Order: sequence, then structure tokens, then C-alpha cells
Amino acid sequence: MANSSLKLLCSSLNKLKINYIMQRQNSRYQPPRYRPPHWFVPKERVMTDEMLTQENRQFLEEVRQDKMNVQTALESPLSNSEPVATTQWDPFTRRVGLIARKIGNYPLWSKDGKRFQTTLLQVVDNHVIKYIPPEEFNPMVVKKPVWKEKKRLGALLVGSETIDPTIVTKEYCGLFDSVGMLPKRHLCRFMVSPHAALPTGTPLTATHFRRISRCNEALGIQRYACIPWCHQDSQETWQHSWRVLRGVKILRINTKHNVLWVLGVGIPGETGAMCYMFDTVLPLRKHKTAPPFPTHLPTDDLPLEYYDESIHPFEEPTISFEED
Amino acid sequence: MALAIRRTTTDLFTAAKWFARRDCRFLSSLPEKAEETAEEAPKRPGRRSSSRNPALEFRHVYPEFLPDPNPKWRNSLREKLERADMLKRRNQIDIPEFYVGSILAVTIADPHAQGKINRFVGICIERKGCGLRAEFILRNVIDHQGIEVRYELYDPTIQRIQVLRLEKRLDDKLYYLRDALPEYSTFPVDMDPEILPEGTPVPLNPVQVKLKPRPWLERWERQELKGVSNIEEHLKEKDRVRRELRKTPWEKYDLMKQYRKTIPEEDQNEIWGEVYNQLHQLQITRKKTYRKRTLSTPKPQLG
Repeated sequence: MANSSLKLLCSSLNKLKINYIMQRQNSRYQPPRYRPPHWFVPKERVMTDEMLTQENRQFLEEVRQDKMNVQTALESPLSNSEPVATTQWDPFTRRVGLIARKIGNYPLWSKDGKRFQTTLLQVVDNHVIKYIPPEEFNPMVVKKPVWKEKKRLGALLVGSETIDPTIVTKEYCGLFDSVGMLPKRHLCRFMVSPHAALPTGTPLTATHFRRISRCNEALGIQRYACIPWCHQDSQETWQHSWRVLRGVKILRINTKHNVLWVLGVGIPGETGAMCYMFDTVLPLRKHKTAPPFPTHLPTDDLPLEYYDESIHPFEEPTISFEED
Repeated sequence: MALAIRRTTTDLFTAAKWFARRDCRFLSSLPEKAEETAEEAPKRPGRRSSSRNPALEFRHVYPEFLPDPNPKWRNSLREKLERADMLKRRNQIDIPEFYVGSILAVTIADPHAQGKINRFVGICIERKGCGLRAEFILRNVIDHQGIEVRYELYDPTIQRIQVLRLEKRLDDKLYYLRDALPEYSTFPVDMDPEILPEGTPVPLNPVQVKLKPRPWLERWERQELKGVSNIEEHLKEKDRVRRELRKTPWEKYDLMKQYRKTIPEEDQNEIWGEVYNQLHQLQITRKKTYRKRTLSTPKPQLG
């Protein structure tokens, strides 16, 4: 009897043992915080079996296909309405930005034979979702309120990559449904001047940055695939951490595939990561003359490629230097 | 010097026979294996017809058209744009077929050189990279000093790539020439191009180099090199023991490892199907200019 009670006591004392608690050596280390975007609405839905019949499933698929067709056939609202003369660009205007996908790196050569490493950014299926005027724009309360933004800038929601509406939550789908669009995989808020606002459904292409110059700033999502001290759950934490790269130079634009070649390999994220791009705010590299405003109007007679004047296009003859 | 070593008496004899047949038209030195390949020819009728898909043979001639197999770096659109750019460049300059072990002459525009042009002759000791990043290293010994120059294949400052002797060696990389006797990597700067008869397979040069005594740049004994003859002379007992310990004989059975290092055939069919027509057209135009070319090549200016 006494023996068994002793065993019980031992096991309960065992539970109080504290030798499995680890002391962290680096006391300055702070684990990454989860930073959701300000417009955060839960996106992914828990997939359940809906018990649909075959006909119902086909009908849903048909409806979805119809909606997709309507969306792809959607013309830019800018092309049919005459451009309003009052919307003039001035150096203090803030234009909308783009959502791009990083698709890789390869070198380009300049006309004096120098090699530049470039990153390719593809602008995939970008559409304006909604404009929120400055009076109605009421962002989530953060520690440091940005009063300047709140007073004079409106918010423009831009989405990229249309997805199947059945795989996202009702709330997320509602953001798009209220303006008659299909849900997009990526959604971003750009602060714009009220006169740079765009109507819902305007497609945005790479030619938005048509003047090739140091006119662009890329904001990247940095993704850490595996960090030794991060376990599986905290990967999400890293997905929403931001790194800003200022004054990235655009060297080349492909108008067919909507691809931008930007200087350098320092664009955060791996191949396939998303990044947001907008006009630079660096005072010496800002636009001096008017860029395509509010965005580039869709036209048919675009050249296939735009090159920076320093870049050597591959179809041109071999570089040779003149003897003095 | 290297040429003298490579010429054994039998080779000289076959060379004489070959010269007699060809009316002594070419004064350049001759590829060693011309006689052998002529005998082999009926067994393997051409490199092209032996495979099922002729386009798949391009993977040896144009290895840089295949992307890096690492799935983290693959993107179909980027690869497509890259191939289009490579073909645009290939329309401007004739980039010939060459392998590690071939002897090349590269003429490059150089703003700092006299005459703004630089020509370098050397043996290709390494060819790597894919897409527009493809590069190769040439090695030569000039004034008793080993020189290596790395060239990018698609660099628009390259004005001409000329194959002086088209051949393969026993190994995929010839980095061991850095530790070999200098005569193995010495080539005359005013070398004449050797012209292979059309349709012959690329000759294999079975020369085995002699290494200098240690210290070496790398542990050559662990790399299972076929092109080195005297590696055992310089080894101590402990090197032999360690070489045995480091051997990985199971790797040749690791099918997944091979699969991950290569692009599967289905993907390759897609890639070659895209570029086959243009590359084939380029090959035909090259053959035409090759036939037209006068045999008396002008003396190249030395940079």
C-alpha cells in the first residue's frame, strides 16, 4: 500500500520537473509577430463536401465559366469615356501601383558592353476593384496613425489573378461581389490622390510604367521558407512581413506578356513571390514629366518591347568600339 | 609542344594516308581519329538518325537551351522569353558547336585593347550555365604564364567565335590542366582551323595529361579522372585510404538524383519543339557559308 502511494507521489513530482524548459541564449531575440494586412478579411475557406448532385455541380461550373467570360471580355472603362480634361498630373500626384509576380533573373547588356543582372516581374491580370474616397476611408487603428494620408488620399483596391469564387470565404468574396467582380487571389490597397482614382474594372498593365526611367519602387513580400527557429505555424507570420526597395530602375518592358525587367537581383522573395510596385518617392528620381495618367490607355499599336536607352537589344548587331 | 606529344608514329602514318586522299588541300593539322571514325561510320550511321527524335540530339549541341532543373527557379514564361532572346542573339552571330576540350578562338570588342579588339586562343576547360548566363572558360599558356579567360556565350561584345579544333576529351571538366605540365595547355596563337569532313562524329581525344607534383589546387585523386595518367605517383598511403573512404559507389544507382539533375524528356520535347525550326535554319545557313568560304584564311591580327 505504502509502496503504491510512493509511486503515485513520484509520478506527480515527475510532472513538476522543470528540466524540459529551455533557456534562450540570445535574450535580444524577439520572435516575429504576425502582421495581417489592414484590410484583412479571412480568405481561405474550410473546404467541405457540399453533397451536390452532378447536375448542380455542372450548373455551378457553367455559371462560373460565364462569369469568367464576361470578366475577360470586360473592356476598360477608360477607353469608351472621353478623358476628362480636369485630371492633370502634377508632381505631387500619387498614381496607382501594380501587383507583380517575380519570375526569375537573367542578364542584359548595356550598349557599352556592361553586364546587368535583372529581375523579371510579371504583372498578372491586374484590375481595379474599388475606390474609397478620403472621406470614407477609415483604416484600422494602428499605433502611429498616418494623419497625412488620412486627410487627403483615397484608397484604391487592386486585385490580381482571378480565382474560383467557391474556394474563398463569403466575406472575402463579398468585397468583390459588391462591385461586380470575381474574387482575386491577391488584393492590395494603394493610396492615391482623389483625381488619380480609376473606375472599377480598369485593367492595369505593365505599360502603366511606360516611360522607362528610374520611376519605380517595388515593395516586396519577403518569404522565409525555413528558418531554424521557426516551426511550421509561424511561416504565416513571415508571409506578411514587408521589405521596401526604393528607386528600382526599369530597363525593359514586354507589352505582350506584361513583363518588366528591373535592375538588380535584390527584389525580396523567391521565384513566384508577389510584390507591389508604385512610383518612387525618392526626390531626385521622381517623375519630372507626366507619366501615363491616370493609367496607360489600352491601344493596339504598342511596340512589343520598350528598352531603356542604355540597354542593348539582342536583335541589334554586335557591339564594337570606335577607335579614337 | 602538345602537338608533338600527341602525334605518335601511327597517327602520322594515318595522317599521311588521309592527306594523300584529300589531295593535300588543307595545310592545317588533322584530327587524330579521322581514320577510326571512318571505320566506325557504317556501325553508327550519323548521330542524327540514331535517336528517335532528331530534335533531342540538340541537347548535346545546345546544352544551354535547357533550363536549370531546380524546381525553385523554373518558370515557363521566363524560360520562353530567355530562349527568344538567345535566338535573337544567335541570328546576329554564329555560335558554333563546341565541347569541353575543343580549341577555340574568341574575338571580343574591348575598349581598352589596342585596335579595340582582342583575340584569345585556348582550350575550353569548362562549359556551364544555362540560358543567357551560359559561359565557357578558355585556357592557354602564353609566355610561360597560364591564362584563363571566362567568356559569356551571349555577350553582345563577342564578335566571333571560331572553332580551331573540334574534339572532346575524356572528362567533363578539364580543371586539372591547371596542375598539369604547361605543354598540355599550350596552343599556338596563330593556329589554323582544322576542317573536319562533313558528317563525321565529333572525335574523342584520348590524351592523358601528366600532373605536376603536389601541392595541387584540388584533390584530383578523389574525382575519378580519366584524362590523368600519373596520379598514383604523387599519392601517399593516407590519400589512398581517404579516397576509398570518400567513394560514393551507390550514387550511380540513385535514379532520383539523376532525375532531379536533368530535365525530363517530355519537357525537353516541348522546348526543342519550340526552337527546333529556327536552330535548324541557322545550321543550314552556317553550312552554306562554310562551303562558300575560301580556304585561304587571312592571318589573324594578334591582340
